[in-house]
Amino acid sequence: MHIPDGFISPKMYVPAYVAAAGLWSYGLGRLRRNLDDEAIPRVAVLTAFSFVLMMILLPLPGGTSVHAAGIGILAVLFGVWTAFLCVSLVLLLQALLFGSGGITSLPVNALAMGLIGGAAAAAAYRILRPLHERAALFAAGWLSINLAALVLAIALGAQPSLARSPDGTPLFFPFGLSVTIPAVMIPHAIIGVGEGALTVIVCGIFARLAKERGS
Amino acid sequence: MKDKAALLLYAAAVLCVTLVHDIRFLAAGLAATLLFSGRSAPLLAARAGRAILVFNGIVSVSYAALALLRGAFQPEFLLRMNLRVFLLTYLAFLLVSRVKPFRALSFSPALLHLFTLTYGQIIVFRRLFDDFRLALKSRSPARIGTRDLYRNAGAAGSFFLEKALHSSTEIADAMRSRGFFRDPR
Amino acid sequence: MIRVEGVAHAYHAARPVLEGVTFEIAGGEKVVLLGCNGSGKTTLLKILDGLLFPDAGLYFFRGKKIDRRTLADAEFHRDFRRRVAFLFQNPDAMIFNPTVRDEIAFGPRRLGLEGADDRAETWARNLGIAPLLDRPPFQLSTGEKQKVCLAALLALEPEVLLLDEPTGSLDPRTTGWLVDFLQDLSVTTVTTTHNLSLGAELGERALVLSEKHTVLYDGAIEGILGDEQKLLEANLVHIHRHRHAGVEHRHFHSHDWE
Ligand SMILES: Nc1ncnc2c1ncn2[C@@H]1O[C@H](COP(=O)(O)OP(=O)(O)O)[C@@H](O)[C@H]1O
Ligand SMILES: [Mg+2]
Repeated sequence: MHIPDGFISPKMYVPAYVAAAGLWSYGLGRLRRNLDDEAIPRVAVLTAFSFVLMMILLPLPGGTSVHAAGIGILAVLFGVWTAFLCVSLVLLLQALLFGSGGITSLPVNALAMGLIGGAAAAAAYRILRPLHERAALFAAGWLSINLAALVLAIALGAQPSLARSPDGTPLFFPFGLSVTIPAVMIPHAIIGVGEGALTVIVCGIFARLAKERGS
Repeated sequence: MKDKAALLLYAAAVLCVTLVHDIRFLAAGLAATLLFSGRSAPLLAARAGRAILVFNGIVSVSYAALALLRGAFQPEFLLRMNLRVFLLTYLAFLLVSRVKPFRALSFSPALLHLFTLTYGQIIVFRRLFDDFRLALKSRSPARIGTRDLYRNAGAAGSFFLEKALHSSTEIADAMRSRGFFRDPR
Repeated sequence: MIRVEGVAHAYHAARPVLEGVTFEIAGGEKVVLLGCNGSGKTTLLKILDGLLFPDAGLYFFRGKKIDRRTLADAEFHRDFRRRVAFLFQNPDAMIFNPTVRDEIAFGPRRLGLEGADDRAETWARNLGIAPLLDRPPFQLSTGEKQKVCLAALLALEPEVLLLDEPTGSLDPRTTGWLVDFLQDLSVTTVTTTHNLSLGAELGERALVLSEKHTVLYDGAIEGILGDEQKLLEANLVHIHRHRHAGVEHRHFHSHDWE
């Protein structure tokens, strides 16, 4: 679930890079204050963890499957800033090392998935946890994907009005919000179920292991 | 040095490709890039083509269908979009095939260290993750049930989570023992 | 039972990990697959288990070709999975069920064998892990996990057992136990190791992969144990200097318990 290269105009990706860069350095600073020496190894391994989560294929009804995103898991267990940094780093490594994902769309993807998706997951978990642990985890997974998808749909759908030639032809992406929002959101309502289920299972096993270790 | 220059060149090329909208210039840019990449051009082009096939296919076909219905079909749009996306994707693969981008980060030791560590962990994790998938396949019928797939994914997820946290402490200790951190604790 | 003809495989086009590998294994044989790190042992086992398909060459199991197409047939797939079992080097990769009982019964249940629960009880007892049956397998020790995985495979009563460095992370006592246990099993086994002296106890026939990823030796295990030249070539022993009371000399060496 990310926008590939070539569909976002510089009018959006340049400011998005500026905003993301500020947030990255704030997030990293925060993490270094909290974790001290362990901040860099911690981000490194959790990024690898996030990478693995994105390799997981979630089977969906109808015989299809999609890659998980794992944002809910990262945000619930380690907070929004870690989720944001790790997801951004995965996207950067995918773009620079494996040539996939897109360098121009990177900040938009990172902000949508890592920051907004992560914040949605953390908030949902915090609010619903007192009522029902598993429901809270499911909601965190479902919401993280759906809110991220909504932001991406808006970013894509804004392109035709943001960047068009003098005769009105869109330059980057042809469809407006009335197309992108339903086209992106309807499948993600279902994809979110897979993501929610994965969040419940992984966090559940992790909590059980942590309890047994007595920590 | 070479890597840093290549990365800067790549960034400049990407910016140009998104600032220029004239199809002739984009086509000329693609031709120049293909020439520049020499003998690896067909391979890289095939990879780029494969990478964009699905998404561009869907966007192109639905654009054509909707625009024809409304009687506002503009072939230049389709040409420009596909040309630009292909060129950007091709440039990314070209960069990856020619340079080790993180060497360009040598200006910041912390960043370089972060990238190197992350990359190493990803390679280890990726190979190990494959085994989870294969181990399930090895004991399952041809069509694996949804429940089993989720259980397996959950087990893999929590295994890597544990492993990640464990490695993080170990890496920090190893760095400490080699005097990586300036201020002693 | 197993016939492999000219098998080659590469994960990356430029770096082959198996080249022109040819051999046959008869029913009941105990084969030890020797080779240094990276020689392609694990890859070969994955091919024998139908998890990976060779880039070139053929693999026949009981006279039937094993490839993507033949394994796409649900009935054939099920039959093959029942007959051939693979113990992964890292037992964690195999474990995902909520209890040890479910873990052991998983294969028999999914592959349609009768009495899955009885099989779980029986094999847990045979492997001495009956007290663990209702525990979640995640928190067991490595040795216990290994036994759970082995029980999960043996519960299928397979004809061929592929074992990837089964003693790699076990302590000496558990290693001894496992070697004895495997010797008493009347199943065709292919066991990988880079540990020479252990190899001699894991089977009577050796198949040695060279550093160039080809078959360097195929025959009685005693034949390779004495062949210093081949062992050096396969990077299974090394020469290094020793000092005894001031006299220095060189000799062959295998560091078996590394
Ligand atoms: N999934 C993979 N992707 C890429 N390379 C791999 C993968 N698995 C193994 N390799 C490489 O293939 C070679 C052979 O590996 P392997 O079969 O695991 O050897 P062995 O088990 O004898 O140590 C090694 O160089 C290894 O790094
Ligand atoms: Mg191996």
